[in-house]
Amino acid sequence: MHEGGSGGVALPTLGRRLRWVLLAMLICFGGLVVRLWQLQVMRGDRYRERTVSNVVHERFLPSIRGRILDRDGVPLADNRPAFNLYATPKAMTPALRGTLKRLIGLSDEELEKIDGRLAVAKKRKVRDPVLLLEDISRERAALVDQERYRWPDVEVRSEPYRHYPQGDLAAHLVGYMTQMTAEEASQLGTQGYSSDELIGRYGLESMWENYLRGKKGKERYAVDARGRRLDEATAAGLIQGDRVTEPVAGYSLVLTLDADLQRIAERAVAPHPAAAVAVVEVATGKVLALVSKPSFDPNVMTGHLTKAEAKFLDDDPRKPFIDKALRVPYPPGSTFKFITTIAALEDGQGREDEPIVCKGSYQVAGDRNLFDCTSSHGRLDLVGAIQHSCNVYFWSLAERVGLDRLAQVANEYGFGSRTGLGLNGDAPGRIPTVAWYEKRGRFVVGYTINGATGQGDVELTVMQLAMAYAALANGGTLFVPQVVDRVARADGATVIQYQPQVKNRIDTPPEILDLWKRGTYKVVNEPGGTAYGYVTSDVITIAGKTGTAQVAAKKAKKDQRQIRGWSPSADHAWFAGVAPADTPEVAIVVLIEHGGPGGKVAGPVAKAILEGWATRVRNRQHGTASGPLVGGAILGRLRQIVATWQLSQRAAATPAPGPEDEP
Amino acid sequence: MRGGVGISLPRAQIGMTRWRRFRAAVDWPLVATIVVIAALGLLNLYSAVNGTRHAGKFDQQLRWMFVGAIAFAAFTAIDYRSLLRVAWIGFGLALVALIIVDVAGSNAKGSERWISIGTLGGQPSELAKLAVILVLARLVSDGAGAKPSWATLAPKLLLLCVPVVLIAVQPDLGTATLLTLIMLSVGFLALRDLWPMVYTLFGMFLAVPILWESMHRYQKDRVLAFLDPSADSTGSGWHTLQSIFAVGSGKLLGKGFMSGTQNQFDFLPEHWTDFPFSVWAEEWGFVGAVVMLALFAFLIVWLLNIALRARDAAGAVLCVGVAAMTFWHVIVNVAMVLGMAPVVGVTLPFISYGGSSLLTFFIGMGLCGSVSLRRHGY
Repeated sequence: MHEGGSGGVALPTLGRRLRWVLLAMLICFGGLVVRLWQLQVMRGDRYRERTVSNVVHERFLPSIRGRILDRDGVPLADNRPAFNLYATPKAMTPALRGTLKRLIGLSDEELEKIDGRLAVAKKRKVRDPVLLLEDISRERAALVDQERYRWPDVEVRSEPYRHYPQGDLAAHLVGYMTQMTAEEASQLGTQGYSSDELIGRYGLESMWENYLRGKKGKERYAVDARGRRLDEATAAGLIQGDRVTEPVAGYSLVLTLDADLQRIAERAVAPHPAAAVAVVEVATGKVLALVSKPSFDPNVMTGHLTKAEAKFLDDDPRKPFIDKALRVPYPPGSTFKFITTIAALEDGQGREDEPIVCKGSYQVAGDRNLFDCTSSHGRLDLVGAIQHSCNVYFWSLAERVGLDRLAQVANEYGFGSRTGLGLNGDAPGRIPTVAWYEKRGRFVVGYTINGATGQGDVELTVMQLAMAYAALANGGTLFVPQVVDRVARADGATVIQYQPQVKNRIDTPPEILDLWKRGTYKVVNEPGGTAYGYVTSDVITIAGKTGTAQVAAKKAKKDQRQIRGWSPSADHAWFAGVAPADTPEVAIVVLIEHGGPGGKVAGPVAKAILEGWATRVRNRQHGTASGPLVGGAILGRLRQIVATWQLSQRAAATPAPGPEDEP
Repeated sequence: MRGGVGISLPRAQIGMTRWRRFRAAVDWPLVATIVVIAALGLLNLYSAVNGTRHAGKFDQQLRWMFVGAIAFAAFTAIDYRSLLRVAWIGFGLALVALIIVDVAGSNAKGSERWISIGTLGGQPSELAKLAVILVLARLVSDGAGAKPSWATLAPKLLLLCVPVVLIAVQPDLGTATLLTLIMLSVGFLALRDLWPMVYTLFGMFLAVPILWESMHRYQKDRVLAFLDPSADSTGSGWHTLQSIFAVGSGKLLGKGFMSGTQNQFDFLPEHWTDFPFSVWAEEWGFVGAVVMLALFAFLIVWLLNIALRARDAAGAVLCVGVAAMTFWHVIVNVAMVLGMAPVVGVTLPFISYGGSSLLTFFIGMGLCGSVSLRRHGY
């Protein structure tokens, strides 16, 4: 031990216990050093990463969703810039929430939405901005922006937003987008979706989501502890690798649909509360117009649906969210008679010139019931029976061939199986057989009688019937309905070109098809035809068949909302036909749900649509009539993309003037 | 005379000027260590506040450093024995200041540690530590001749507990604990018989549950947060967690001066007072952190060395007290930064920002300097 200057240690206990002191120091300092070693050397990499993620944040750069265009490039779904309100959950104090509420006048529903989103986001990163409210008005955006200096963590971003420039035109086909559910968000989170974005929910928007969506870009930026962005120079030093990964725009869909015809069709059904229309190209199965009424405005559905509006739509007994052209099978009524005709003639069970006398009713062997015809038609041959839609004639034929044979022909024409379109819950419909009835009880011949005229348990969709009528007109080729013509890149270049797809080739003898053609011509164009006067047009010759399908008497539910001109117990009105009658180009099916007699109700609608087609659509050279595309985009990027797209569209359209090009 | 410790001449060498003798007697290793640590502290503070709205804190600290240096010189020059004479007066003044704080102190962060004198704020609890150390030295010097009787000592020892209580009710648990640790350390090194102290300690452990009950909610939260820092990563545990991230991310060699992201971008609130070591370890890494700990270890060992060579028991106790104060401040503060102790307001000597803390340590070191200077009894 050290000897003090004045001899010995002044504090003897200190000398004695010094070794304990040094030991204690060694333990304490040693403990700290060991801990430092553990934190800095052993776990250093992990903590370094943590501190980097503290500072370097990632933000998705929105990709521009592909557009949905009609065959001429008219946009049905587009993007427009919108103001989206963002804030970090950390910054959204109750006080700020209150101020914001007063400043831009948030409704209770909006507040609820905001609170919900904040609650979800809080569980994740409290410093990352979260979308509070999408597509706010310009005035609101300006108000928030003015206060930006006070709340740096609340921001308004201008981002592309889904927009449907044609409003509710082809709403069921185009569909709409909505916010993801929590479940979807967790599933899709790995695929680069962020929880606050919209996702295709219905129609093509949903079915083609993967093509339309595109790939989001990514921006990495540095922030301080309060979430404020650091300046570029500082950030550059902190962020390794690429700062920005550019987004890739989604693919656009070019449809087979003709927006003009679609509009004509929707106007034609406007007087009716509920209807469905399909217009297809006979030679290709391409869908030119597809209507389901009632529908909705996809602009409202996409992020702007209030609870009240949602309830109103949900309460509508006509079910506006169910596609009546694809999803709902209806009894087809007399439009189904071609099946009976083909079955009987193919089997040699009937002849064109076989006369049958209609006395207004029909007695089936072994059945006490008397089946009533639409009227007492007297003596008719087969063509006359088609013209007058005489049930007795077809019942007689059906009884000879049997229900199973009818079902066989019906299956050949695509009934009882899905069209293959795969959109909006595309239904197979129902073609009953003897076995089907026996499984459910006893089969009686009366079922065959019902089936022969498209009644009873026969059910099919508007789309199916349109494809079948196209097959009748094109010599027996049953196509898969085609809605998307091609998938194009944002710059207009075709990525995938779809060819018409054949579902079935039916070898119905040409004579039978010709007979059917003559019969349906008379339906429309000769006195006594069920559609004569209703569909008869001097603009275009139309051939077709009417149908009036009875529905099982159903009473409206008591609490149901009353819809004028629509009663759930009224007949369905049908018209199915082709035009022009001699060399058919388009097939049309019109269904007026609970509309009444087919010829009188559905007929004029079909006539209006086909006349519109003949005068305004048929002779148009596709591609030039579209005029300048509606860009709708103001963001520089968007505009640029649109410009390239326009150029390529025009380039593609001009060099090929068709043969019908008039001087 | 062994070892190169100290300079062992002054009185023997006749004919030296007074200044040269003074210069030779001044404890240069002590001065040098303090200067180095204080310089590192300034460097660290510069990194912590430069470019932020707290940038003025650097200049303020510089001013306090200047004042501290003068205080150090003054207390080195003053004979510590004359200070011992007024130890009880100083203790009394400290008690008065503490009472004023308790009764009417301004509220800083929910507790009343500050006393405002004009525009200056001061924490009497910091200076109270020195008063307690002086009184401890005085008690030892009083009892040096005669055998101490418990009858005379007990009331004085009880009196020493008064500042602990006063500080604890501010409430400033950190400083109260620290003061207790200082007294226990001094007791351990100065008492011939350790058993009474052991009994007292035992009694204190029994008092822990009662203390827990009387704690403020935020204090409980802090203790709980310490026990599980990840449980509440945005509240009390936030400091600890971010501090651990900061230290850990420094790795072996650190991110470099002014380059600590945790520090520069404010992930550690108030890091210049309680968490400067975190800033240091982030920017200078394991190597820098160990160097700083080594400097403190050397300082403490050197203070004990002075104690060993002190000319009287009172001087030795004075140095032991200051050494204990330094030791516990460093250990508790660094342990807190490394997530090994709850977040309590205990400063890191010469590194933490704050006038009271700086002044306390400069004066404390001055006292030791005075003991060192007078070890040969001239």
